[in-house]
Amino acid sequence: MIEAEAFARRRGGWFKNPVILKELRGRMRGARAFAVLSVYLLLMVGFALLLYVLASASQDVFGFTSGGQIGRTLFTGIIGIQLFLVTFIAPAFTASAISGERERQTYDLLKTTLLPAHSLVIGKLLSALSYVFLLLIAAVPLQSIAFLFGGVTELEVVLAFVILSVTTITLGSTGLYFSAARTRTLSANVTTYSVTLLITVGLPMLIFILIALFSSLLGARQADIAVEVQVLLLYGLLALSATNPLVAAFLTQYWLLNKQSAFVFYETITSTTGIIQVPLISPWIVFSAVYLLIALILVIRTVRRVRRIEN
Amino acid sequence: MSEQMPESFEGGVPLSAPEAPIAPAIDESDLIVETRGLVKRYGKLTAVNDLSLSVPRGAIYGFVGPNGAGKTSTMRILTTLMLPTAGQAYVAGYEVTKQPRAVRRVIGYMPDYFGVYDDMKVWEYLDFFAACYEIPESSRPRMIADLLDLVDLSHRRDDMVDKLSRGMKQRLCLARTLVHDPQVLILDEPASGLDPRARVEIRELMVELARMGKTIFFSSHILADVAEICTHIGIVEAGRMVMQGSMESIRRQLSPHREAIVTLLDRLEDAKSALSGVQGVLAVTVLPDEGGRKRLRVTFDGEDALLSAMVQTLAAQGIPVLNFSEQAQDLESVFMKVTKGIVS
Repeated sequence: MIEAEAFARRRGGWFKNPVILKELRGRMRGARAFAVLSVYLLLMVGFALLLYVLASASQDVFGFTSGGQIGRTLFTGIIGIQLFLVTFIAPAFTASAISGERERQTYDLLKTTLLPAHSLVIGKLLSALSYVFLLLIAAVPLQSIAFLFGGVTELEVVLAFVILSVTTITLGSTGLYFSAARTRTLSANVTTYSVTLLITVGLPMLIFILIALFSSLLGARQADIAVEVQVLLLYGLLALSATNPLVAAFLTQYWLLNKQSAFVFYETITSTTGIIQVPLISPWIVFSAVYLLIALILVIRTVRRVRRIEN
Repeated sequence: MSEQMPESFEGGVPLSAPEAPIAPAIDESDLIVETRGLVKRYGKLTAVNDLSLSVPRGAIYGFVGPNGAGKTSTMRILTTLMLPTAGQAYVAGYEVTKQPRAVRRVIGYMPDYFGVYDDMKVWEYLDFFAACYEIPESSRPRMIADLLDLVDLSHRRDDMVDKLSRGMKQRLCLARTLVHDPQVLILDEPASGLDPRARVEIRELMVELARMGKTIFFSSHILADVAEICTHIGIVEAGRMVMQGSMESIRRQLSPHREAIVTLLDRLEDAKSALSGVQGVLAVTVLPDEGGRKRLRVTFDGEDALLSAMVQTLAAQGIPVLNFSEQAQDLESVFMKVTKGIVS
């Protein structure tokens, strides 16, 4: 007890925000937080093992010998499942953040204190996200197993982490926004998950259909299509990647493998008028910029919502 | 009241005149809470209707009215949680809609529900709110200890909040309203939902806080609570202020004369004639016997010396008096007189 208080007195930085301290204290108290972490890691390990077994079995059947193939399958699989989990966990932690205060009838008490609205919102967001980040970071060693098999570079691990983090922040902010906008946690959850599902499942399906259509068009008679149209399609594809983490990750990896670059590179376009080089930015950059901007807007709107005095 | 007062609070706050339950002199013109023509409408429903209230600094102001009379709406406006439809509200000189932050600094608000975090320890709960009020960390441990001492929860300091009884939670909430040492406490139905013992404890705490110099503005529909501890009272009905002022002025307005009840062993008629002869006595009426005891009601007009004169007269004639007490005007009857029962 005494140590806890001494710590409380010594702490500085972001622990100065009373909401963060309170939330983290509540979340990490007892065995629950550690149990959740353990179960999460066990599930991930189980999934990785399953992938490994499947990948090696398929190698036996088809006679591949590349260890890199196993490494790549493991890595992609783990990132995929993490993206899936983050999509569901991040909003779950934030969608109840403010509506929960209302339901617990503590919202009014907080509003009559001197706690600024932005401290409440940022505090709620950071404390919820920090636990999701704990889950993400705890799984990094698991992703890194792929190194043992080769085929995956450090850069890919870093990029995957960036995409996961950005997704966490934006979906967390989405949950927080609806938590402030709706009175009830249930309604906040329903809205948040509807939006999240639209972004993570609806959009990629649409995008993949579009890509399939375009590539069949481009692939057949690429050289016949006017340069302008081709450039437009290419940039359109890049813009679409900014709407979805899965698409962004997929395209980033595609260009990383084909162009050996995760930043700026040139795509060659052939047409009847000749061959030109089109400069492109790696999709993860566009995705991160767009998603972080959305997160910022959502946080600002949430703060405004919280600051408002009931009419 | 004063005998029941806890003597435990010695945390650096001077106890002034322990026998006087109420802060000494109240300047009626020094208003700390004031509303002018306050109106709050929810659609077609008018919850607060041209309400003007005046709470002098240092008062224990009972805001009384039936459920739905607009008490909570008024309090939510005063605590900056809600905007009024029309009219002005001031707390410590600050307009609530224009300077909400300044208002929040001087008020401590306790709503008519607990509002506790179950996953926190008692001291953490107070520490959290102290942090929200920007109380420096260095002064928090001492302040929390003093507050827990005041509300008699020191022994539950490290317990989880959800382990506390209703009465304890209510006391903890009261302690929470005090973390930033506010000038005014705005308490919405502080005694509702509590058992009789807890109710008495909360009431004693309110008196104690008034002695410490806090102005207490609280709402209630339980008149007994109000009558016992208030210095001022405002009776509200259907969003309108029906009557307000100091307890004394309200009593005087409603019944201009004072009353005393005399219980006798015997010699009823002697006592009646003796009392009728005392100057200032207006009427002496015989009341029905109560448990075999004879009783008289004396209506009089005058200061306390007159009461003493009556007792002396009776004693001088050797009349066996069992009990002699001034009858305080029953607030329940005051309430029934001024309200029309529009809302109930």
